[in-house]
Amino acid sequence: MASKADQFKNAFREEGREVLVDLESALLELNSNRGDLELVGRIFRALHTIKGSGAMFGFEDLATFTHNLETAFDEVRNGRLAISPELIDLTLSALDQIRAMLEEGAGGAAPADPDACAQILVKVRRLTGKPDHAAVKGETRPVKAGSETGSVPAAGQAREWRIRFAPGPEFMLNGANPLLLVRELRQMGGLSVRASMAAVPPLGELDPERCYVCWEMVLVTSAGRDAIRDVFIFVEDSCELAIEPGAAAEIAEARPASEADLTARTLAEERSQAGGRRTYDKPDNASSLRVPAAKLDQFVDLVGELVTVQARLSVLAARHDDPEVAAVSEEIERLTSSLRENSMNIRMMPIRATFEKFRRLVHDLARDLGKSVELTIEGADTELDKTVIDQLSDPLMHLIRNSMDHGIEPPEVRAVRGKPATAVIHLAARHSGASVLIAVSDDGGGIDADAVRSRAIERGLTAEGAQLSEQEIFAFIFQPGFSTAKQVSDVSGRGVGMDVVRQRVDSLRGSIDVASKPGLGTTVTLRLPLTLAIIDGLLVSIGDASFVLPLANTQECIELTRADVEAANGKHLANVRGELIPYIRLREYFNIRTPRPEIEQIMIVETEAGRYGFVVDVVLGDCQTVIKNLGRFYRHVQVVSGATILGNGTVALILDPERLAQDAVRAIAHSARGRPPASIAAAAKRDLREGNAAQQRAM
Amino acid sequence: MFSLVALPRNGTTSGRRLAKVRGVQKEHGVPVTLEQNETLSLLRFEGAIDISLAAELKTLLLQALGSGCEVSVSIAAATDLDVTAVQLLWAAAREAKKAGVGFSLTEPPSRNISATLDEAGLQQFLVPVDAR
Repeated sequence: MASKADQFKNAFREEGREVLVDLESALLELNSNRGDLELVGRIFRALHTIKGSGAMFGFEDLATFTHNLETAFDEVRNGRLAISPELIDLTLSALDQIRAMLEEGAGGAAPADPDACAQILVKVRRLTGKPDHAAVKGETRPVKAGSETGSVPAAGQAREWRIRFAPGPEFMLNGANPLLLVRELRQMGGLSVRASMAAVPPLGELDPERCYVCWEMVLVTSAGRDAIRDVFIFVEDSCELAIEPGAAAEIAEARPASEADLTARTLAEERSQAGGRRTYDKPDNASSLRVPAAKLDQFVDLVGELVTVQARLSVLAARHDDPEVAAVSEEIERLTSSLRENSMNIRMMPIRATFEKFRRLVHDLARDLGKSVELTIEGADTELDKTVIDQLSDPLMHLIRNSMDHGIEPPEVRAVRGKPATAVIHLAARHSGASVLIAVSDDGGGIDADAVRSRAIERGLTAEGAQLSEQEIFAFIFQPGFSTAKQVSDVSGRGVGMDVVRQRVDSLRGSIDVASKPGLGTTVTLRLPLTLAIIDGLLVSIGDASFVLPLANTQECIELTRADVEAANGKHLANVRGELIPYIRLREYFNIRTPRPEIEQIMIVETEAGRYGFVVDVVLGDCQTVIKNLGRFYRHVQVVSGATILGNGTVALILDPERLAQDAVRAIAHSARGRPPASIAAAAKRDLREGNAAQQRAM
Repeated sequence: MFSLVALPRNGTTSGRRLAKVRGVQKEHGVPVTLEQNETLSLLRFEGAIDISLAAELKTLLLQALGSGCEVSVSIAAATDLDVTAVQLLWAAAREAKKAGVGFSLTEPPSRNISATLDEAGLQQFLVPVDAR
């Protein structure tokens, strides 16, 4: 039984975490938009949910603590308490404690600090002028319509609601306690309760873990139907629930709405909006499931195996030339393809939650650094693989901290430069082919390229007279221990953060791009693969070797004859309907020394740097590609993003067109300057050498 | 695990010895025990009686009723009764009434239990206290 109780607690923890994220972002939004009643309602309801469900799942301390905050926001809602920075800061610190209480027993997190909690409560009570309510401690209260407890919207017109509540067979097993729900309803106003034992079977047939009692209740409250329904938010699926206005209420509903009703209605509308932010508040949560991420990973692994086996089946079917076998094989291929797409979709998550949680970081850092900074978010609904999202938090945090500390100037400097007093940090996400681009921009002072350069020279990362592009100079900031900060602060300056960013992005097979304009700001863009598991690819061959190019970036395939090559005078340029497109001959790039065919194929691929062609011998066709990691030994091979096993059992390397193109551009830039810097040339050589080694090994 | 324990002297049992039949072990002490002799089955509750004990409580109640003698439930030491306990007691009392057997509480529930049951409209379903 204890382990079951733990399961319920864990379920509540997960829900609670979501509610807290929403709560935090609502609070921070409220800070910049103090008159927004909708936000106040959202905060109140989130606190109410945490309190109610907390008490239900045995988090009594959390419930009691939250109750006091809820009271404060009830006062705000009723216009009796103004929203002040103090209230918001206090609530934010309270959230940290609530979070700690929520995680208590889950391991890992620091426990809540009782002293801090007590101090917060003293301050909250000083603001609200209300005594401490031990509302969820089970005290009996006189039952009185509109009695003033935390949840009663006192200003509203009290009305009568008839509530019929019959727990279903699974109700108790889900950890719910009907008595606590009734108690919570009692806090909303005058409640008369009639319980019925009519459904209780004879003792011998009675399932002892099922609740057979059902309740008919009349609640007189000024709260709306949704607020009442909220009491049942976690158990709605496992009970029969009917909430109907009583006779008095029907009349009341026809009257103009009071302010409290208006708030309740606004909330009801918000809830009915599709794609609303309050993801935890799902009226249709019966149609969604919570699945442990590990199970999903296992599922995707199995689909990957299936895709590999299916490829083998296709090869066998083609070899046997039997129409019946071919038909079955094609059918399986189609099904596998749908299965793969579905399984990938399941793992896709919007990046919103990750972005939203930085509002708090920006708010707290801005306060600590004495700067005024606003965080704006764009493309929060952009979806990417859960594994990628999970690993994004740290790099984004370091980038934001860096921008806040080094990028954004102190207010006096901004004033001198004629910039707005409030600086902006912009987080943006968007899709680009098979990648997602995540950008962190600030409107600060920009990176001082000269300072970075001289620091790099000091540290021996580059030679004194080396000709470096801006990109190459900016790349130094991602070196371990690299910092131009003269002082190490709490926030940054040790040169660790950017190194973490680079390592994490590398491990995700992503890339980093830095753009900076002195005096105007900096944008760091992370390019990350959409998924780390299975992609659609185009299988090509050069000599005996097979390669896979991601289909998402590939636009078209054209022939390249010897005549075309001669016509271009040895330049690696193809004329595609009047447009000159540079191409990279992969045969040369990978140093493959088999005879060149008469007619080659150019795969035209869209990259960030423009359209590029990749010349191969033969295009074999599309293939579902399960990405396998090449392992630690090949982690420096940037132009290859992994390997896959083909239907005939051989291994093909998956090329990263983006990196190939970057590499080519870099090589051209250096040859134009005539003197490639030692480190870059070495890296290029190493890439090539290791690419070949990997290829040979794979064969 | 059969053992004999002395039942406190009172009007009903006046020092007769009862066999302690079964108990459900929770964290501390034994929250539900059944003691039986020829004329009485006595169930003792201690601490919070909730869903985690429901299955065992049902078994003990069936056993108590099966003996055909009067059933008494002592809830003085219980700190909490949840809905599963209340409905089990209620169903058992209904069965006892049908069989013409006495089924009662030895003393009224604690203030906390009374208040909780009252809040949920369940007070009326709690087994009556033995008037003797």
